[in-house]
Amino acid sequence: MITVTIDGRKIELEKPVTILEAARGAGIEIPTLCSHPSLELWGGCRLCVVEVEKMPRLQTSCTVSVADGMVVRTETPQVAQARKAMLEFLLINHPLECPVCDKAGECKLQDLTVKYGAAAGRFEEGKRAYPENTDDPIIVRNMQRCILCTRCVRMCEGVQGAYAISAVGRGNKSYIEPFSGGRYDCEYCGNCLSVCPVGSIMSRLHRYSYRPWQMDRKVNTICSWCGVGCTLALEVRDEEIKRVTPDFGAGVNKGLLCCRGRFGYDYVASPQRLAKPLLRNKCGELDPAGWEEAYDFIAGNLAKITREHGPQSVGAIVGGGCTNEDGYLLQKIMRGLGSNNIDSISRLGLLPVQQIIEQALGPGATANLMEGIKISGAVLTVGGDPTSFNPVLGLQARAASRLNKPVITIGYAPGMKRHRSLSLNCAPGQEGVVLAGLLKEIFNIRPVTGDNNSLGEAIGRWQDILPSAGKVSELSGAAALDIKSAAKILAETHNPSIIAGRELASYGMGKANALLLAAIAYMLHAKVFLMSELSNEQGLADVGCAPELLPGGGSNSEKGLTLMEMIEAAASGGLKALWILGENPVFSLPGGDAVTQALKKLDLLIVQDIFHTETSGLAHAVLPASGWAETEGTYTNLEKRIQLLKKAIIKADRPENWRVLAGVGSRLSLDMAYNKTSDIMDEIAKVSSVHAGLAYKDIENGPVWPYNGKPPVMRRTPALFENSRDLINQMINDADAQKRLPGFRLALHRPLAHNGYMGRNSRALLKIDGGPRAILSNGDAERLGLEKGQVAKVSGANGAFKFKVELCADVPEGVIYASNVFKGAGAMGLAGYRLDPETMIPIAVADGLKVEKA
Amino acid sequence: MQYILNYTEAPDSATLAGYERAGGYRGFRKALGLESAAVIDIVKKSGLRGRGGAGFPTGMKWLFAFQDPKTPKYLLCNADEGEPGTFKDRRILEKAPHLLIEGMLIAARALKAEQGYIYLRGEYPAAKKTLELAIAEAYQKGYLGENVMGGGGRFQLSICRNAGAYICGEETALINSLEGKRGQPRLKPPFPVSVGAFGKPTVVNNVETLANLPFIMEAGAEAYLKIGNPQCPGNKLFPVSGHVDRPGLYELPMGTPLKEIIHNHAGGVKGGKALKAVIPGGISAPVLTAGMADCPMDFISLPRYGSMLGSGAVIVFDETTCMVKVAWRALKFFEYESCGKCTPCREGTGWLRTVLERIEAGGGRHSDIALLEDICNNIIGKTFCPLGDGAAFAALNFIKHFRADFEAHMGGRCPYENSVKSPDAGSGRPAA
Repeated sequence: MITVTIDGRKIELEKPVTILEAARGAGIEIPTLCSHPSLELWGGCRLCVVEVEKMPRLQTSCTVSVADGMVVRTETPQVAQARKAMLEFLLINHPLECPVCDKAGECKLQDLTVKYGAAAGRFEEGKRAYPENTDDPIIVRNMQRCILCTRCVRMCEGVQGAYAISAVGRGNKSYIEPFSGGRYDCEYCGNCLSVCPVGSIMSRLHRYSYRPWQMDRKVNTICSWCGVGCTLALEVRDEEIKRVTPDFGAGVNKGLLCCRGRFGYDYVASPQRLAKPLLRNKCGELDPAGWEEAYDFIAGNLAKITREHGPQSVGAIVGGGCTNEDGYLLQKIMRGLGSNNIDSISRLGLLPVQQIIEQALGPGATANLMEGIKISGAVLTVGGDPTSFNPVLGLQARAASRLNKPVITIGYAPGMKRHRSLSLNCAPGQEGVVLAGLLKEIFNIRPVTGDNNSLGEAIGRWQDILPSAGKVSELSGAAALDIKSAAKILAETHNPSIIAGRELASYGMGKANALLLAAIAYMLHAKVFLMSELSNEQGLADVGCAPELLPGGGSNSEKGLTLMEMIEAAASGGLKALWILGENPVFSLPGGDAVTQALKKLDLLIVQDIFHTETSGLAHAVLPASGWAETEGTYTNLEKRIQLLKKAIIKADRPENWRVLAGVGSRLSLDMAYNKTSDIMDEIAKVSSVHAGLAYKDIENGPVWPYNGKPPVMRRTPALFENSRDLINQMINDADAQKRLPGFRLALHRPLAHNGYMGRNSRALLKIDGGPRAILSNGDAERLGLEKGQVAKVSGANGAFKFKVELCADVPEGVIYASNVFKGAGAMGLAGYRLDPETMIPIAVADGLKVEKA
Repeated sequence: MQYILNYTEAPDSATLAGYERAGGYRGFRKALGLESAAVIDIVKKSGLRGRGGAGFPTGMKWLFAFQDPKTPKYLLCNADEGEPGTFKDRRILEKAPHLLIEGMLIAARALKAEQGYIYLRGEYPAAKKTLELAIAEAYQKGYLGENVMGGGGRFQLSICRNAGAYICGEETALINSLEGKRGQPRLKPPFPVSVGAFGKPTVVNNVETLANLPFIMEAGAEAYLKIGNPQCPGNKLFPVSGHVDRPGLYELPMGTPLKEIIHNHAGGVKGGKALKAVIPGGISAPVLTAGMADCPMDFISLPRYGSMLGSGAVIVFDETTCMVKVAWRALKFFEYESCGKCTPCREGTGWLRTVLERIEAGGGRHSDIALLEDICNNIIGKTFCPLGDGAAFAALNFIKHFRADFEAHMGGRCPYENSVKSPDAGSGRPAA
């Protein structure tokens, strides 16, 4: 126990912290500019100086650790004089233009000058002058105002790991600049501007449009861009989100944001938003209609189709960004009609992979806290680049690397290139082979012992079919030596983390791959994190948006159709009506024209979305959806943590989705008597065992699965391992066959600034990343005579698109990564699919593509 | 007796053969026969203090690094001689590079370091050439390499060139620069002896310090202690420049009085003019008046005169020198070399320079003197590293000792004939 005296108060501390932390813990405020709790110690601004007894000079409280018996004084005449002097120095080169600076009112320099500064300056010589730099479309740099605290640089290097900016020049002529010069060549996380204490690095998106004190409200809510579920605050003026601000003390992200969350909020106020319901008239055109009219139309037609063709002829698909409440209501409508044809976008990866892993390792095995990643012994990532799938989760993997933990990536993960110790690179679809090789090597070092359970037995049965490192290398291209050293690193470490993305199951044998992953996790006592591309994939599965699951995860034995089966049923005429809430299957699913043709056959297609999409053009009824920030509800993140979404825009032009769903539901004689979203959660809490008793007030603390209730009894699936040997064998054979295919193989590139198809509606995100891109290997590009920035044409049996070329060392030869974001240039349009009978995932099939200079 | 410069004056002194003929590598051979602890013990007993400026006991520094359990350990030679007026290391680097290599071999033997770096001033291209040749020769002859002298273990030596920043002479900034980072000082603690280059225990020694080691090993600690002041024994290199008849480099025992250096060795003030001021230890050492020239030149005595030994560089000014201009020129240097990490140094040095510039150009007011003193006091004791303190102390002492010069400027123009009209004209170098 350490006892220190600060300003006459005795403070007891368990472990040595800095004087600043000790003082703040005791409620004693010491002014600082350069220090920040999320950043490396610096000690540059010299504002936090204090007097320490028995020390000859003033000490910077942000860097000096307390020692037992230390006596500190934070406010003495000497300290006040030093602070006054430091502020005078800082103001020498700081323009006094607060009246035109957006930071005024929340500027730390301004606040401290008011408190400690001199009334007038004594500096009469000329100030340093730099022109404001507006080369970047998002971030404006005003280096005249910069006080060189380097918080932004320390954030960029030490936390974000982007290494995009640096202090340039020396002494009082230093300034901060991106290495790329004017425009940033970075990840646009905006965390640099979060930590800028003055008005030097600011967002251009809302310049000169507010004063901090003029905001109507500040609402703490959850980001909707991906399944991390970052906490952020929306600041609203005149019913428009002016800006997004972080909270460094709260949430799973502790203030860190990514470019989508930080800058991608403007779509909410887009004039392109759907405003009125549209109903197809007799001439086949979409006509505006009133809400009541739309409810009647939809309810009437649903009832009619059910009556005429049976309940199995209706179905619904829920998009990954919908709240638990919305998802619950839509599945309630479907099940109320007697149909189990309800599925969500979680079917494309998260749900099937999770089901296999949790059946193998136990329920809740994938509910782990992200903050554990950086302190785990090692990190293994597979099936997607965590820094673009779930950017803030990716930061945890980078943090582990910074703490000298080994980080191993399998496959394409360019965001980890500076933060991994080993890359087992392979083509998409070959991840399973690498996992199999890794498992074999791990088994050699650390055999399964003791546990007499089904997984352990199964692993034993796989042994003779697992490929050797040499064979893996031959099939996948990952170096045999690297596979061996990766296995050694993982086998010798304690409690590693495995981060897996849905691509584990997008290009090949999802079940085999997931079983291998579960086996590795089992052997290593690893924690498994399943990336969730969209914000509520987990929650939708939990509230019953799956044909085989009831709310709470209880199994449903009655037959229903999964996502792709519904599309196929529409094509074959078995499905007559489909309600699509917040999803754009024509664009997002592989199969291209086949999906369009299938949807065209429907008697009733209801599309509820916030913008017109490729799919809404086919609909018989288009319902404008309420967006994020316009509705209350809950999201469940990839940790299986349930979190509360708040309404920031109060006077929205459209009814919230749940009111629309309830409007239709009540016309179908279903009990939809809800006054607010919490009423829906109260009902979920009654019917779902995991949510049992959960109310909104409990959600404030972000409870983790099994939220408040009991985990469901997991259905014993002896079949889980029954065919596992065959599946793994088949997976290895598939990999071998795939290797020999001619032409290019297509895989999905997930740009950092976009997620799904929503980013194309954000002007800010389009400024960051405005067009379709294709990533090629250096070797292929050279062979084809293509250079970075040139336009390439990619063509195949399903069509042809043009993409701007980028090069990346992580891309194996013969593979092209292309984005699926922009209208008319979605990579999925090139792909056919086959339905994996084990996981019911539509596996994108796009081989034999031709790439040429456009 | 000289034991450093004698090597630089021997025929073919820069070559291995010439150096060996002059008696080189005998000290290292002796160290080869001793255990690490014994070598450290001899250096500790010798009382050798670092010649980079701070005067920290070398043996002690070694012991800290030696006792740290982390490995590997790194030996860094600070050859970033950037202090204005200082040209002592340069002579060794250009004329007796093997003396430095031998010194580093002894230090490496003591520390069990297997990798050494010479962090060389970027503006020393000739030194780089001679060092490269000398290192190549030393590898060829087996002084350096995987198996030093067939049984001395591994020692690799590389040169890392500074890109032109004075601050990289500060050891933690030097380490940052060596690692490829921005040349700015690091927080201490942890000190380099425990967390230095690449996070490992690291000893940073000055060229001249290392050049003392061959003699200490060969002659023994006792003999070394007999030279100079017992509290800071040994010879010291004194680069003398400015208004003297024979500017140059002199190797004299520690504690030699300043006036003896100026008058007996450097030939007295040029042209028979009267002595006005002396900077005794490079530009960061506060200026002394002519009346203080009886000061013994060592780490102990100079602080009693309100200055410090620093690099030992003696800069002499005669009676015709404008001390405002000297102060302005000094501050111009500090402003340019301030790394920008901490507020008082970054902004304060520039402010001091602009005020001095205005006074020298004829725009001074009497209140400016108090302003200058106030700025200095606002810097002193609040900077991250000693650079800012050095600048402010230097400025404060110019005012303290030569207030009359400052006051004489308030009439509107510089009273000294050879002063330039606008101090900012041209390159800013002091006029001849």
